[in-house]
Amino acid sequence: MLEVLGFEFFRNALAAGVLASVACGIIGTYVVVRRMVSVSGGISHAAFGGIGLGYFLHIDPLIGAAGFTVATALGMGALEIRARQQMDTLIGAVWAAGMAIGILFVYLTPGFAPDLFSYLFGNILLVPWEDILLMATLVAIIVAVVAFLYRELQAVTFDPDYATVMNLPVERLSLLLLVLIALTVVMLIRVVGIILVIALLTLPAAISRLYTTRIWSMMLLAVVLGIVFTLTGIWLSYLLNVPSGATIILVSTLAYAGSLGIERLRQGD
Amino acid sequence: MSAPVIEVDDVWVRLRGQNILEGVSLAVYPDDVYAIIGPNGGGKTTLLRVILGLLTPSRGVIRILGGTEMEMRRYLGYVPQFRTFDFEYPITVREMVLSGRLGHITRLPRRYGEEDRARTEEALDTMQIAHLADRQIRNLSGGEQQRVIIARALVGDPKVLLLDEPTVYVDAPTEAQFYEILDGLRDRMAIVLVTHDIGVLPARVTRVACLNRRLYTHDTNEITPDMLEAAYRCPVDLIAHGIPHRVLPEHSRKE
Repeated sequence: MLEVLGFEFFRNALAAGVLASVACGIIGTYVVVRRMVSVSGGISHAAFGGIGLGYFLHIDPLIGAAGFTVATALGMGALEIRARQQMDTLIGAVWAAGMAIGILFVYLTPGFAPDLFSYLFGNILLVPWEDILLMATLVAIIVAVVAFLYRELQAVTFDPDYATVMNLPVERLSLLLLVLIALTVVMLIRVVGIILVIALLTLPAAISRLYTTRIWSMMLLAVVLGIVFTLTGIWLSYLLNVPSGATIILVSTLAYAGSLGIERLRQGD
Repeated sequence: MSAPVIEVDDVWVRLRGQNILEGVSLAVYPDDVYAIIGPNGGGKTTLLRVILGLLTPSRGVIRILGGTEMEMRRYLGYVPQFRTFDFEYPITVREMVLSGRLGHITRLPRRYGEEDRARTEEALDTMQIAHLADRQIRNLSGGEQQRVIIARALVGDPKVLLLDEPTVYVDAPTEAQFYEILDGLRDRMAIVLVTHDIGVLPARVTRVACLNRRLYTHDTNEITPDMLEAAYRCPVDLIAHGIPHRVLPEHSRKE
């Protein structure tokens, strides 16, 4: 069983899984407590537009996705602040438009689009070494920003009105949070793919919330859960020879269902 | 009399083609307990949001301690309408109260110091919730949650405490306790209280106004029938505070 650790691709997969879990645990905590799950869904699907653009311009699709998601996040944030648009309709529009743009760009790119499927559903067993470095850099940025602005982000996600009255830069902090979500989404595309990002982003944090009373402890437990889920998923997918992204998500979903069930039983006492 | 802590000068608010506030002017002085009453939808919360700088009026100015800069908001303590934020949020009582100090910390990164922690313990004591400090806010009763919200406002050393419908979700004994607490605070800061319920005014209000788009006040602590009629657009029976009265008919005496 352990001889598989001798393969570089497998070690890379484990490293990618751990790095993705750290980002998910931290950013997913804010997504869950601030109820930004659908905004995150919109951002992640808009990423497909960036991936299509990457193919079209012959650059790394992930670079295209990063640019696209950050722009989408800032755009949605600005609209929410200024225009007070109906957010759910706006998210639906961005969600579908992002996918549509991606499809058009892929269609317009001559030739066959290699591993398009892996961007949609992820393939952690194919993460190259350079991407691990990129992920590690992003995780370092996320950890640094959250450590630096922990109290401000807590105030803004808990009670934005009160944070405004205390003269905190609420709009800039909200936009920063959206950008961090966008960067996390880009990281996760390699691991579980665009369509499944939202589950890995929210499920570990959602389970963690049931057992924690502080933001930092919720993050910590969410990171640990994320690592357990991704590593279990990678191992199972290798063992059963099934797609890794989908396996990771199903492991997480089962754990979430289980913890909700246990919680109900506990409250029933 | 000393200078007002809050001045609202001819404020108009227009939202979606409708006037919510029309030419509202009022002044709150340091020793005031100012009650603003009025029907639901009469603009009470809007007025508070304008004072707090959460909403920009279409016309008019707000002065806090004579200044119009947004930074002056740090002298305001705000107790929002109950249940307007998420009590499921993973935060302890102490952390929530401590967060009320953020307005006083400008050096980055914002870190809580000795003084912030001392003030927090003081506010927890004042509100008699020190024993709940490490509990998560969702595991508290309604009255306890409300005391946490007030403690968060107190910890910032406000010159004025603004309360939006503070008694809506609490039961009668909690309400009595709540007014006792307010009474203890009135020496330290001005208090502005907004409510739709005329029956809940604390005993020692110094000024009353009725708000329904326009503000009606005689700058005294009496509600007069003409103020109420103007605000509620219908005659309202006045019930004097503290005088017992029957709201149900007496039982007939046939045995």
